[in-house]
Amino acid sequence: MTDADLIARVLTREDQHAFAELVRRYQSPVRAFLTRMARGDAHLGDDLAQETFLKAWRKLHTYRGSAPFSTWLFGIAFNEFRTVARQRKELTLDDIDELPVEATQPPADSRSGLRLDLTEALKRLHSNERAAVLLCCQNGLSHEEAAEALDCPLGTVKTHVLRGKEKLKRWLSGYQHYESA
Amino acid sequence: MNPPEEKDPIDTRLREQDTYINDDGFTARVVAALPPRRRTWLRPVLLLGSAAVGTVLAIQWLPWSNLPPLDISALLSLNSQVLSPWFVVLSVTASLMWAVVAAIQWED
Repeated sequence: MTDADLIARVLTREDQHAFAELVRRYQSPVRAFLTRMARGDAHLGDDLAQETFLKAWRKLHTYRGSAPFSTWLFGIAFNEFRTVARQRKELTLDDIDELPVEATQPPADSRSGLRLDLTEALKRLHSNERAAVLLCCQNGLSHEEAAEALDCPLGTVKTHVLRGKEKLKRWLSGYQHYESA
Repeated sequence: MNPPEEKDPIDTRLREQDTYINDDGFTARVVAALPPRRRTWLRPVLLLGSAAVGTVLAIQWLPWSNLPPLDISALLSLNSQVLSPWFVVLSVTASLMWAVVAAIQWED
Protein backbone atom coordinates (compact mmCIF):
# COMPACT_ATOMS: atom_id res chain seq x y z
CA MET A 1 0.00 0.00 0.00
CA THR A 2 1.42 3.40 -0.98
CA ASP A 3 1.76 6.40 1.31
CA ALA A 4 -1.07 8.07 -0.61
CA ASP A 5 -3.37 5.08 0.03
CA LEU A 6 -2.58 5.10 3.73
CA ILE A 7 -3.09 8.87 3.97
CA ALA A 8 -6.45 8.55 2.21
CA ARG A 9 -7.55 5.89 4.71
CA VAL A 10 -6.52 8.09 7.62
CA LEU A 11 -8.37 11.09 6.21
CA THR A 12 -11.57 9.30 5.28
CA ARG A 13 -11.89 6.88 8.19
CA GLU A 14 -9.46 8.12 10.83
CA ASP A 15 -7.86 4.71 10.36
CA GLN A 16 -5.28 4.34 13.12
CA HIS A 17 -3.88 1.14 11.60
CA ALA A 18 -3.06 3.03 8.41
CA PHE A 19 -1.45 5.82 10.42
CA ALA A 20 0.56 3.29 12.41
CA GLU A 21 1.96 1.95 9.15
CA LEU A 22 3.03 5.47 8.17
CA VAL A 23 4.73 5.89 11.55
CA ARG A 24 6.53 2.55 11.13
CA ARG A 25 7.81 3.62 7.71
CA TYR A 26 9.19 6.98 8.82
CA GLN A 27 10.01 6.61 12.50
CA SER A 28 13.66 5.80 11.89
CA PRO A 29 14.66 8.83 9.75
CA VAL A 30 12.55 11.22 11.81
CA ARG A 31 13.92 9.99 15.14
CA ALA A 32 17.49 9.99 13.83
CA PHE A 33 17.10 13.52 12.45
CA LEU A 34 15.65 14.87 15.68
CA THR A 35 18.20 13.10 17.88
CA ARG A 36 21.00 14.72 15.86
CA MET A 37 19.21 18.07 15.97
CA ALA A 38 19.01 17.63 19.77
CA ARG A 39 22.78 17.18 19.85
CA GLY A 40 22.62 13.45 20.47
CA ASP A 41 19.93 13.45 23.16
CA ALA A 42 17.98 10.35 22.09
CA HIS A 43 15.27 10.80 24.73
CA LEU A 44 14.56 14.33 23.62
CA GLY A 45 14.76 13.20 20.00
CA ASP A 46 12.12 10.52 20.64
CA ASP A 47 9.87 12.95 22.52
CA LEU A 48 10.09 15.39 19.63
CA ALA A 49 9.48 12.60 17.14
CA GLN A 50 6.36 11.52 19.02
CA GLU A 51 5.08 15.10 19.00
CA THR A 52 5.91 15.28 15.30
CA PHE A 53 3.74 12.27 14.48
CA LEU A 54 0.91 13.43 16.74
CA LYS A 55 0.95 16.80 15.00
CA ALA A 56 1.07 15.01 11.64
CA TRP A 57 -2.10 13.12 12.64
CA ARG A 58 -3.88 16.38 13.49
CA LYS A 59 -2.64 18.28 10.43
CA LEU A 60 -2.77 15.51 7.84
CA HIS A 61 -5.65 17.21 6.02
CA THR A 62 -3.26 20.06 5.18
CA TYR A 63 -0.82 17.75 3.35
CA ARG A 64 -1.29 18.49 -0.35
CA GLY A 65 0.95 15.80 -1.79
CA SER A 66 3.06 18.25 -3.79
CA ALA A 67 6.20 17.02 -2.00
CA PRO A 68 7.04 13.56 -0.65
CA PHE A 69 5.38 12.71 2.65
CA SER A 70 8.82 12.48 4.28
CA THR A 71 9.56 16.11 3.33
CA TRP A 72 6.32 17.21 4.96
CA LEU A 73 7.17 15.20 8.09
CA PHE A 74 10.68 16.64 8.31
CA GLY A 75 9.10 20.10 8.14
CA ILE A 76 6.92 19.35 11.17
CA ALA A 77 9.90 17.75 12.92
CA PHE A 78 12.08 20.83 12.43
CA ASN A 79 9.31 23.10 13.72
CA GLU A 80 8.99 20.91 16.81
CA PHE A 81 12.73 21.18 17.35
CA ARG A 82 12.64 24.98 16.94
CA THR A 83 9.81 25.28 19.45
CA VAL A 84 11.74 23.32 22.09
CA ALA A 85 15.05 24.97 21.22
CA ARG A 86 13.58 28.38 22.08
CA GLN A 87 13.00 27.13 25.63
CA ARG A 88 16.20 25.14 26.12
CA LYS A 89 19.37 27.16 25.99
CA GLU A 90 21.66 24.18 25.55
CA LEU A 91 20.03 23.56 22.17
CA THR A 92 20.43 27.15 21.05
CA LEU A 93 24.15 27.46 21.69
CA ASP A 94 24.70 27.82 17.98
CA ASP A 95 27.77 28.72 16.05
CA ILE A 96 30.32 27.64 18.58
CA ASP A 97 32.84 28.13 15.84
CA GLU A 98 35.51 29.27 18.23
CA LEU A 99 35.81 26.04 20.21
CA PRO A 100 39.34 24.71 20.08
CA VAL A 101 39.81 22.08 17.42
CA GLU A 102 41.57 19.90 19.96
CA ALA A 103 38.22 19.39 21.66
CA THR A 104 37.23 17.05 18.88
CA GLN A 105 40.60 15.50 18.16
CA PRO A 106 40.08 11.91 16.93
CA PRO A 107 42.46 9.02 17.31
CA ALA A 108 45.21 9.38 14.70
CA ASP A 109 44.35 8.16 11.19
CA SER A 110 41.32 6.26 12.39
CA ARG A 111 38.21 5.95 10.21
CA SER A 112 36.09 5.24 13.26
CA GLY A 113 37.72 8.25 14.84
CA LEU A 114 36.59 10.31 11.88
CA ARG A 115 33.07 9.02 12.32
CA LEU A 116 33.01 9.92 16.01
CA ASP A 117 34.51 13.25 15.18
CA LEU A 118 31.85 13.88 12.56
CA THR A 119 29.14 13.20 15.16
CA GLU A 120 30.71 15.69 17.53
CA ALA A 121 31.34 18.21 14.77
CA LEU A 122 27.68 18.04 13.70
CA LYS A 123 26.67 19.04 17.22
CA ARG A 124 28.71 22.22 16.87
CA LEU A 125 27.01 23.41 13.70
CA HIS A 126 24.41 26.16 13.78
CA SER A 127 21.05 24.40 13.99
CA ASN A 128 19.92 25.69 10.58
CA GLU A 129 23.14 24.47 8.97
CA ARG A 130 22.91 21.16 10.82
CA ALA A 131 19.34 20.65 9.64
CA ALA A 132 20.23 21.49 6.04
CA VAL A 133 23.28 19.21 6.03
CA LEU A 134 21.37 16.34 7.64
CA LEU A 135 18.40 16.61 5.30
CA CYS A 136 20.39 17.03 2.07
CA CYS A 137 23.52 14.98 2.70
CA GLN A 138 22.17 12.26 4.97
CA ASN A 139 18.48 11.88 4.17
CA GLY A 140 18.82 12.52 0.45
CA LEU A 141 16.40 15.42 0.15
CA SER A 142 16.91 17.77 -2.77
CA HIS A 143 17.72 21.38 -1.98
CA GLU A 144 14.19 22.29 -3.05
CA GLU A 145 12.66 19.69 -0.72
CA ALA A 146 14.88 20.81 2.15
CA ALA A 147 13.86 24.42 1.51
CA GLU A 148 10.22 23.39 1.81
CA ALA A 149 10.84 21.34 4.95
CA LEU A 150 12.86 24.11 6.61
CA ASP A 151 10.51 26.81 5.34
CA CYS A 152 13.29 28.99 3.98
CA PRO A 153 14.44 30.16 0.54
CA LEU A 154 16.27 27.76 -1.75
CA GLY A 155 19.39 29.94 -1.80
CA THR A 156 19.52 29.95 1.98
CA VAL A 157 19.43 26.15 2.09
CA LYS A 158 22.25 25.93 -0.45
CA THR A 159 24.29 28.37 1.62
CA HIS A 160 23.59 26.45 4.83
CA VAL A 161 24.70 23.17 3.23
CA LEU A 162 27.82 24.74 1.76
CA ARG A 163 28.84 26.53 4.95
CA GLY A 164 27.94 23.57 7.12
CA LYS A 165 30.10 21.22 5.11
CA GLU A 166 32.96 23.72 5.02
CA LYS A 167 32.86 23.98 8.79
CA LEU A 168 32.75 20.20 9.18
CA LYS A 169 35.77 19.83 6.95
CA ARG A 170 37.63 22.52 8.83
CA TRP A 171 36.83 21.04 12.21
CA LEU A 172 37.55 17.46 11.39
CA SER A 173 41.10 16.91 12.38
CA GLY A 174 42.54 14.05 10.43
CA TYR A 175 40.25 14.90 7.55
CA GLN A 176 43.08 15.72 5.19
CA HIS A 177 44.84 12.57 6.24
CA TYR A 178 41.72 10.49 5.55
CA GLU A 179 41.08 12.24 2.27
CA SER A 180 44.55 11.51 0.98
CA ALA A 181 44.46 7.90 2.20
CA MET B 1 18.00 14.82 -5.82
CA ASN B 2 21.05 16.99 -5.50
CA PRO B 3 23.87 16.51 -7.96
CA PRO B 4 26.14 13.84 -6.48
CA GLU B 5 29.29 15.21 -4.92
CA GLU B 6 31.57 12.31 -5.63
CA LYS B 7 34.43 11.31 -3.34
CA ASP B 8 33.35 13.68 -0.58
CA PRO B 9 34.14 11.80 2.63
CA ILE B 10 31.75 14.02 4.59
CA ASP B 11 28.81 12.93 2.44
CA THR B 12 29.96 9.33 2.53
CA ARG B 13 30.32 9.32 6.30
CA LEU B 14 27.00 11.06 6.83
CA ARG B 15 25.26 8.40 4.76
CA GLU B 16 27.11 5.65 6.60
CA GLN B 17 25.89 7.08 9.89
CA ASP B 18 22.32 6.90 8.67
CA THR B 19 21.60 3.52 10.25
CA TYR B 20 18.08 2.17 10.79
CA ILE B 21 16.61 2.77 14.23
CA ASN B 22 14.52 -0.17 15.44
CA ASP B 23 10.94 0.68 16.29
CA ASP B 24 11.12 -0.79 19.84
CA GLY B 25 7.54 0.13 20.66
CA PHE B 26 7.75 3.69 19.32
CA THR B 27 4.86 3.25 16.90
CA ALA B 28 2.69 1.72 19.63
CA ARG B 29 3.40 4.68 21.91
CA VAL B 30 2.45 7.13 19.17
CA VAL B 31 -0.79 5.31 18.37
CA ALA B 32 -1.67 5.08 22.07
CA ALA B 33 -1.25 8.85 22.36
CA LEU B 34 -3.55 9.63 19.42
CA PRO B 35 -6.72 11.49 20.35
CA PRO B 36 -9.91 9.39 20.42
CA ARG B 37 -11.68 9.06 17.12
CA ARG B 38 -14.53 11.42 16.50
CA ARG B 39 -18.03 10.00 16.13
CA THR B 40 -17.09 6.94 14.10
CA TRP B 41 -20.49 5.54 15.11
CA LEU B 42 -22.41 8.35 13.41
CA ARG B 43 -22.35 7.11 9.82
CA PRO B 44 -23.48 3.51 10.47
CA VAL B 45 -26.17 4.78 12.85
CA LEU B 46 -27.44 7.19 10.20
CA LEU B 47 -27.38 4.40 7.63
CA LEU B 48 -29.25 2.00 9.91
CA GLY B 49 -31.78 4.68 10.90
CA SER B 50 -32.41 5.53 7.26
CA ALA B 51 -32.92 1.86 6.51
CA ALA B 52 -35.41 1.55 9.38
CA VAL B 53 -37.38 4.58 8.19
CA GLY B 54 -37.29 3.26 4.65
CA THR B 55 -38.62 -0.10 5.82
CA VAL B 56 -41.52 1.53 7.65
CA LEU B 57 -42.39 3.64 4.61
CA ALA B 58 -42.11 0.65 2.31
CA ILE B 59 -44.46 -1.39 4.49
CA GLN B 60 -46.85 1.54 4.66
CA TRP B 61 -46.91 2.57 1.04
CA LEU B 62 -46.06 -0.34 -1.17
CA PRO B 63 -49.12 -2.20 -2.57
CA TRP B 64 -48.33 -5.49 -0.84
CA SER B 65 -51.97 -6.74 -0.97
CA ASN B 66 -52.52 -5.65 -4.55
CA LEU B 67 -49.47 -7.25 -6.08
CA PRO B 68 -50.45 -9.19 -9.21
CA PRO B 69 -49.81 -12.92 -9.09
CA LEU B 70 -46.40 -13.78 -10.43
CA ASP B 71 -46.25 -16.95 -12.48
CA ILE B 72 -44.11 -18.42 -15.20
CA SER B 73 -46.34 -17.23 -18.02
CA ALA B 74 -46.24 -13.64 -16.75
CA LEU B 75 -42.46 -13.80 -16.49
CA LEU B 76 -42.07 -15.26 -19.98
CA SER B 77 -44.47 -12.83 -21.57
CA LEU B 78 -42.64 -9.88 -19.92
CA ASN B 79 -45.99 -8.38 -19.05
CA SER B 80 -45.12 -4.93 -17.71
CA GLN B 81 -48.37 -4.61 -15.76
CA VAL B 82 -47.40 -7.67 -13.74
CA LEU B 83 -43.64 -7.17 -13.56
CA SER B 84 -43.46 -3.44 -12.79
CA PRO B 85 -44.93 -3.59 -9.25
CA TRP B 86 -42.75 -6.57 -8.43
CA PHE B 87 -39.69 -4.77 -9.77
CA VAL B 88 -40.41 -1.80 -7.49
CA VAL B 89 -40.92 -4.04 -4.46
CA LEU B 90 -37.74 -6.02 -5.12
CA SER B 91 -35.68 -2.86 -5.70
CA VAL B 92 -36.84 -1.27 -2.46
CA THR B 93 -36.30 -4.48 -0.50
CA ALA B 94 -32.80 -4.98 -1.96
CA SER B 95 -31.82 -1.37 -1.18
CA LEU B 96 -32.98 -1.69 2.41
CA MET B 97 -31.14 -4.98 2.85
CA TRP B 98 -27.97 -3.45 1.41
CA ALA B 99 -28.21 -0.51 3.82
CA VAL B 100 -28.63 -2.83 6.81
CA VAL B 101 -25.70 -5.02 5.80
CA ALA B 102 -23.50 -1.98 5.12
CA ALA B 103 -24.35 -0.49 8.52
CA ILE B 104 -23.59 -3.76 10.32
CA GLN B 105 -20.32 -4.31 8.51
CA TRP B 106 -19.13 -0.71 8.82
CA GLU B 107 -15.37 -0.79 9.28
CA ASP B 108 -13.91 1.35 12.03
